[in-house]
Amino acid sequence: MESLFVQLLVIGIKILVILGVVLGLGAYLTLVERKVAAHIQRRPGPMVVGWHGLLQPLADGLKLITKEDIFPRAGNRFLYNLALVLALVPAVLVFAVVPFGPEFEVFGVKVKPILTDVNVGLLLVFALGSMAVYAIALAGWASNSKYALIGSMRKAGIIVSYEVVITFAVMGPVILAGTLSTYEIVQQQINQKLWYIWLQPIAFVVYMFAMLAETGRVPFDIQEAEAELVTGFTVEYGGIKFGLFPLVEWYVEVLSLSAIAVVLFLGGWSPINIPFLGFIDPLFFLGPLSPFVWFILKVALLFLFVLWLHWTLPRYRIDQITETAWKVMLPLTFVNLVLTAVLAPIVWR
Amino acid sequence: MIKKVFEKPLSWFERIFFIDFIRGLSVTIRHAFSKTITTHYPYEKLTPPKRFRGFFGHKVVDGREPQPAFDEWVERFKIEVEPGRSRCVVCLLCKRACPVPQLFEIEGEKLPNGKRRVSVFNMNMLLCTFCGFCVDACPVDCLFQSDIHETASYSRKDSVLTLEVLERIGRDWQRRREKEPDRIWIDDAQRMRLWYENDLKLPEVKKQ
Amino acid sequence: MPWAKEEDFLELKKKFKDLQIEVKPTITNLHIPKHELIELLKELKQMGYKLFIDHSVVDFPDRSPRFQAFYILYNVDERKRVVVKTWTDGTLPSIEKLWFAGKWAERECYDMFGIQYEGHENLVRAFMWETYQYHPLRKDFPLEGYANEYLPSLNEVMWGENLQGLMNYDRMHTPVPTLEDLEITEKRRLKKKAQLVLNWGPLHPGTHGTMWFLFDLEGERVVQCDVILGQLHRGMEKLAENEMYNQFLVYTDRMDYISALCSNQAWVVAVERLLGIEDLVPEKAKYMRTMMSELQRINSHLLWLGTYALDIGALTIFLYAFKEREKLMDIIEGITGARLTISYPRVGGVRMDLPEGALEVIKAFVKRFPKELKDWETILSRNRVWLRRNVGVGIIQKEDVYFYGLTGAVARGSGVPYDIRKFEPYDAYPWVEFDVPVGENGDVYDRYLVRLEEMRQSLRIIEQCVSKLEKMPKSAPFFAESPDPKKLKLPLDGIGLKVPEGEIYSSGENPRGELGFYIYSTGGVKPYRVKIRPGSMYNLCVYPKLMKDRVIADAVAVLASLDPVVGEIDR
Repeated sequence: MESLFVQLLVIGIKILVILGVVLGLGAYLTLVERKVAAHIQRRPGPMVVGWHGLLQPLADGLKLITKEDIFPRAGNRFLYNLALVLALVPAVLVFAVVPFGPEFEVFGVKVKPILTDVNVGLLLVFALGSMAVYAIALAGWASNSKYALIGSMRKAGIIVSYEVVITFAVMGPVILAGTLSTYEIVQQQINQKLWYIWLQPIAFVVYMFAMLAETGRVPFDIQEAEAELVTGFTVEYGGIKFGLFPLVEWYVEVLSLSAIAVVLFLGGWSPINIPFLGFIDPLFFLGPLSPFVWFILKVALLFLFVLWLHWTLPRYRIDQITETAWKVMLPLTFVNLVLTAVLAPIVWR
Repeated sequence: MIKKVFEKPLSWFERIFFIDFIRGLSVTIRHAFSKTITTHYPYEKLTPPKRFRGFFGHKVVDGREPQPAFDEWVERFKIEVEPGRSRCVVCLLCKRACPVPQLFEIEGEKLPNGKRRVSVFNMNMLLCTFCGFCVDACPVDCLFQSDIHETASYSRKDSVLTLEVLERIGRDWQRRREKEPDRIWIDDAQRMRLWYENDLKLPEVKKQ
Repeated sequence: MPWAKEEDFLELKKKFKDLQIEVKPTITNLHIPKHELIELLKELKQMGYKLFIDHSVVDFPDRSPRFQAFYILYNVDERKRVVVKTWTDGTLPSIEKLWFAGKWAERECYDMFGIQYEGHENLVRAFMWETYQYHPLRKDFPLEGYANEYLPSLNEVMWGENLQGLMNYDRMHTPVPTLEDLEITEKRRLKKKAQLVLNWGPLHPGTHGTMWFLFDLEGERVVQCDVILGQLHRGMEKLAENEMYNQFLVYTDRMDYISALCSNQAWVVAVERLLGIEDLVPEKAKYMRTMMSELQRINSHLLWLGTYALDIGALTIFLYAFKEREKLMDIIEGITGARLTISYPRVGGVRMDLPEGALEVIKAFVKRFPKELKDWETILSRNRVWLRRNVGVGIIQKEDVYFYGLTGAVARGSGVPYDIRKFEPYDAYPWVEFDVPVGENGDVYDRYLVRLEEMRQSLRIIEQCVSKLEKMPKSAPFFAESPDPKKLKLPLDGIGLKVPEGEIYSSGENPRGELGFYIYSTGGVKPYRVKIRPGSMYNLCVYPKLMKDRVIADAVAVLASLDPVVGEIDR
């Protein structure tokens, strides 16, 4: 009885921590993005609210919440709101299977810093990722606007093609690790003394591009393409509802997919890797905190890289994006699968 | 004389190793670590150059009028000259030169001593195109354009410059900026925030 | 002056009995009766006068027949221009089979003068809405229009503000279109053939102004497309008839508001040519005008580059371009006193001499600018995404350039080296060296490269102008002196500038194509008729053809590469 209570408590704390961190961080990542973009463009970015604009996300949130909630006259109110829920929930749920660090002990209770270590974790990630297409299609349809409809169709087209690509891309690490559990994949990389990026560079590049496409980042941000479609499927949303879509797409999803990329290719919470030899940890002085710092550092670097790309490149056209997916990336992942099959025994030993 | 423009196509090496992306990324990262060039507008302001064509003003009689034009016009129209008041001689040339003459409302009054003086001089800034033809037309260097450019107001009323306002702007201008040299801009230190990359060194401002 | 001579048309004279050739120093006219007009134009087109420049009519309410129509054509190979004129009382044969650009010009004439065109495929109003009753450019239409709609101000209705005197404004307004009117206008333009009609504009970030595009879409593919113009129509040509020659400068600022100095220069040069005082203008003024308008050209191309990259998704280039643009704005503001609506040149020179330090600042700018240009090219020119979006999109063939009356960078991108600065040099252009960049394929990418190269060439011109100006003494005149002030007054403020009877077509090379002014003067201080040839409008008329069977994402790329400015299209 007591152990059940403790377990429930632990899970409750985990949920609160993850929700708080993810949503709070998501909001603050808007500030990070604005600052990065500003400095790339030789501007200082937000400077007025708080020291160097540190309170800007709060001000933005306050503004969005107090704004009028506008609804298009001939739209479908139920689907209109459902789209929002469908966008937010799966994106946050993905964090249930992200392992933030190794197992540790508090007050004699062993805690895995992962909400639920299911043995098909990766499958869950991509199943939830595919849910996003419903949110977008519904948002576009329920808005009763031509712009929103075109935007949502574009995005749906991208997600359908890139789901295939991304699934084949992660096949490589899965074969090498021999498991679908995210926690186990990291453990395997530590045991094999090998980050999978060293053996899976093609898969990593393809995964990164697919991630950009799924999250609607440049060069694949055609669903919002402000020059043609104004903001695509969110054009009829207002106030905080409008704020939530980019929050989910651009920050929460990028964060979750970056975390998965770190898990799959960059050895999760493990420090710098020399293939097959071992790990070097320049952050050893942090003691038991070091793995968590490593994990956050890697995710942050990936996120910053995405921002850097976003503020440098132009965007593709929809037909070119799907063309790249089916004609270039998918064959590349097949090649990668074959290569992996050849190389796998070296890793397994 | 005729120059064909073209670019080399991408090589396979560039394609496979994303050299084109890396080049672009290197440019943006270089800019990201350079100094910002922004002027934080409501907190910091640039001083408009002396030639700036902003709101209008009337220069007042202070002994620096263009001679002999001023005396000639005063003579011709029998104008009462009062130091500290507008130099206007009610010649209406500004109204004639204006592409939108409706914006002027100018009237002179006759004083008991038989001389004349400007009594009404309204300019409706909502109609103005700020072209400066009226300034060119003014024979006595009275009407001029000041550096006032923050001109938003709550009512149409505030967009009409009356004689008092024009004189006030004129006095202010004569006190602040009239003696400035005719230079491209006067606030070198502030402009350097934008221009620092250009290694620009302007000759010193001559003190007068 | 590149006007055709009488001997060029001796062959034609034999063919057309009623043809009259009139050669004046400022213009060459071919007068022809209406029934032979199309035949003559066909002949001229075969003779090499392939490039359509402009067409409109001049209204003479006292004469019969009432309207004089003119067609301006250009022979690119022999560099000759000719004007064909005919008289009519209200109908003209359509030339849309000969030049597509004529179709748009005819719509405009129908709109503004009520001329009926026989054989025109879809004669709709160019600028006004379909249910508008009047033809505003006719001489009997008053300048103020017919105020017959009661429209009080919002302040008055909501806060009871009641202002008197100069602040007062009219409660009665000229008609404004209702939603029904706009719907009728839209329906007349485009018959729906495919799945859905997307209204792209009038207010849309991708249209670079207030243009209203109609896309008939099949999925994302555009089946047909049309443009409804006129949201920014202010009746510049009507205003010109009621303004003095110098005062009209103010309105040229507001046509192509991104390159005001170039428009100013084109107008001023046109009036100077009509007056015959081109040689009187001091050298210093010519160099200054040339330098300033080249600065403005870079400025304008920077805005184009920024927004173009923004449209294709490279958001950062926009800010980089604006950084440089801000420097140019600093320069222009310091020299002329204004940033956007500049009105700096005057008939006979410029308004003011250069201030202290201007040349140093310009030199510093010229020195650094190529480096920045290189940066942008590194990000864009050979980026695979950029190439995929640009190469092979919106291809304009060489023949289309003539057929659609395209000029400026659009024509040069297709390999036609049509540059007024070379073909009909004005101001200091004959004395400076520069190249004319031309493209090969005529796609969006070529137009992009051409504009980038044009910026480099502009830098060359500026450098030469600066070195000339540096050598000139400070006291050199910047404004022309009239040889005989009794006959010809040349004031700085434009009061009393009288222009003799005559007509002229004169054009300048704007960043957006050839900006031409056809001035018909009957003597006096105001022109009788001014027809503005907007480069943007004729460049835009190829757009529906380019968009056929392309996807909506290309709409922004193609539109931005044509680089229209609505202030100039609508006037």
